[in-house]
Amino acid sequence: MSASVIIFYIIAAFILGTGILAVTTRKIFRAAIWLLFSLIGIAGLYFLLEMNFIAAVQIVVYVGGIVVLIIFSIFLTQKSGKEMQKPILVRQLFSAVATVIGFALVWLLISHNSFATNSTSIVDVNVANIGTQLLSTGEHGFILPFELVSILLLAAMIGCIVIAMKTKQEQL
Amino acid sequence: MFSLEGITDAIYSWLNSTFNPTIALLIEFAIVVVCVIGLFAVLGLVLVFMERKVSAYMQIRLGPNRVGFKGSMQTMADTLKLVLKEGLVPDGADKFLFNLAPFVVMIVAMLILAPIPFARNFQMWDINIGVLYVTAVSSLSVIGILMAGWSSNNKYSLLGAMRSGAQIVSYELSAGLAVLSIVVLTGSLQLSDIVNSQQDGWWIFKGHIPAIISFVIFIIAVTAETNRAPFDLAEAESELTAGFHTEYSGMRFALFFLAEYVNIFIVCSIGAILFLGGWMPFHIGNWEAFNHVMDFIPSSVWFFGKVFFLIFLIMWFRWTFPRLRIDQLLNLEWKYLLPISMFNLLLMTLMAIMGWYF
Amino acid sequence: MFIVDYIKEVYGAVKSLLTGMNRTGYYFTHHKEIITQEYPDNKDTLVLSERFRGEVVMKHDENNEHACTGCTACELACPNATIKIITKFDVTPEGKKKKAIDTFVYHLELCTMCNLCVEACPTGAITMAQTFEHSVTDRSKLIKKLNQPGSKIREGVE
Repeated sequence: MSASVIIFYIIAAFILGTGILAVTTRKIFRAAIWLLFSLIGIAGLYFLLEMNFIAAVQIVVYVGGIVVLIIFSIFLTQKSGKEMQKPILVRQLFSAVATVIGFALVWLLISHNSFATNSTSIVDVNVANIGTQLLSTGEHGFILPFELVSILLLAAMIGCIVIAMKTKQEQL
Repeated sequence: MFSLEGITDAIYSWLNSTFNPTIALLIEFAIVVVCVIGLFAVLGLVLVFMERKVSAYMQIRLGPNRVGFKGSMQTMADTLKLVLKEGLVPDGADKFLFNLAPFVVMIVAMLILAPIPFARNFQMWDINIGVLYVTAVSSLSVIGILMAGWSSNNKYSLLGAMRSGAQIVSYELSAGLAVLSIVVLTGSLQLSDIVNSQQDGWWIFKGHIPAIISFVIFIIAVTAETNRAPFDLAEAESELTAGFHTEYSGMRFALFFLAEYVNIFIVCSIGAILFLGGWMPFHIGNWEAFNHVMDFIPSSVWFFGKVFFLIFLIMWFRWTFPRLRIDQLLNLEWKYLLPISMFNLLLMTLMAIMGWYF
Repeated sequence: MFIVDYIKEVYGAVKSLLTGMNRTGYYFTHHKEIITQEYPDNKDTLVLSERFRGEVVMKHDENNEHACTGCTACELACPNATIKIITKFDVTPEGKKKKAIDTFVYHLELCTMCNLCVEACPTGAITMAQTFEHSVTDRSKLIKKLNQPGSKIREGVE
């Protein structure tokens, strides 16, 4: 067992442990913090794979953006410090069944499809390549999805502005 | 000639010749950790003393001048006091998160230190997305502050934490854009590449007025991001009784205090790397003789000199300007800094494409 | 025009900030402006300002005479009952009774150095002294008797 495998298992255990804590804790703020650690663990996994760009983006988007947003909305809700009540038995049962089925599905997929390890063609993933690939119109270019996403974000932004815009009060 | 590079090379070759590679690697890790912790401790002591002296002279006072030579041991005495104090945990606090928060803040500061080149070839981790890594990890520090504010179970702490969160999230934008304008010129995110691209002059001189504008915006934005006056309304002593660390005492408070100064050091070293050439000595174009004379000053001296100059600048801001109100703070960001830095970035891109820089 | 106003605003802001930094920068580099008094070290050369108010004292001249008539104007003027005047009646040579002070009690621990008693005094008998080292080990030592033992009122002061 090489060092990288050991590190992989440590990180994986960290992700799973914090993930389980996130769904089992009964304090909503702690759940957000455990989710945050889980996401950081995933970023660590990307770092281990030497996919630095995606790891940094994972931290920026999920940790710096989404979790902070979640935490802010928790702050603005009432009873954020109180323990939530225990879910009823039926709900617990159903979620357990859903978890088992989901796990079985993933297990089935992994056991049926083998992952071929090809160490021959490692893609050079420096940022300049990612940038040119993102904006290239040629083969494997991502210009169309890129533009689609930007239009989507623009629409969302305009929507936000329209919602937040104050209408001038009519003069009495 | 004295250089940090020589020392690290000597240690590296000695370790590898004495032990087998795995143990040598582990020992290197241990040395790096000890060095980082030592750097933090020294930085805390030096910067707190510096701040107190600078503030005193700017307010026509003398500052600490009793303990040690001209008061130089004052921070040591204060640290000793903080270590010996009892660390109280409030009754209604979320004890786990309350204890975790200072360490989160500290660990984030340690992580950001990794890609910073302190001297020629003296860098812990030359990651190829250096600048992006720094921006990404520094966005984590807000989590520690929010955690501290929430778990204290105190309305002032919570208010301080929320202000701090809003402030950091919004000022990250203009800081990021200011950083991007230099990345556009360099064409690389790697910090060592950025330093090397300033071989024939620092970007603040080579990039004309747009570089100066983005430098100013960067300094303003990082002052806000580190929650320092005039943007210290997250900890505003007079209204929120120190904000998110109201309930902290003893060593945990010391960790927050230390993290604040370490963060200042980090943002100033990023500023120095991007705009003032990092460890690169002061070079002018093709003046070989002049450049050669400048090379005689060790690169670590250049780096720390620039960083401390920027730190002094930020301290100067702190002891001159009054605190902003929250609406003024957000106005400054969204109505002034962000549009200006966006326009500036466009200008910079045009410059980079047309090659209008030296 | 909007954009001109915007630029003017930014320019004005930067200019005013630089003015402030110029001031603090001046103080930072000019150490002779420092006003801190290193108190116990410079005890001998310490210069207090003229208007500094340390405590209330009663002026006595070389004949051990003061100007206090015992009118209690200061006692009435005092906002927190710092002064308590105990009067007595002297018998003049002509056989008339005359009001005079027996004891001028001054509670330093209650005094806020507001100067109202000094302003109220019609004869200028009391004044503010510049002494400021008032720390004692017992609170009762702060209750002072201002008229010196054996002192009497100066002739001609009514």
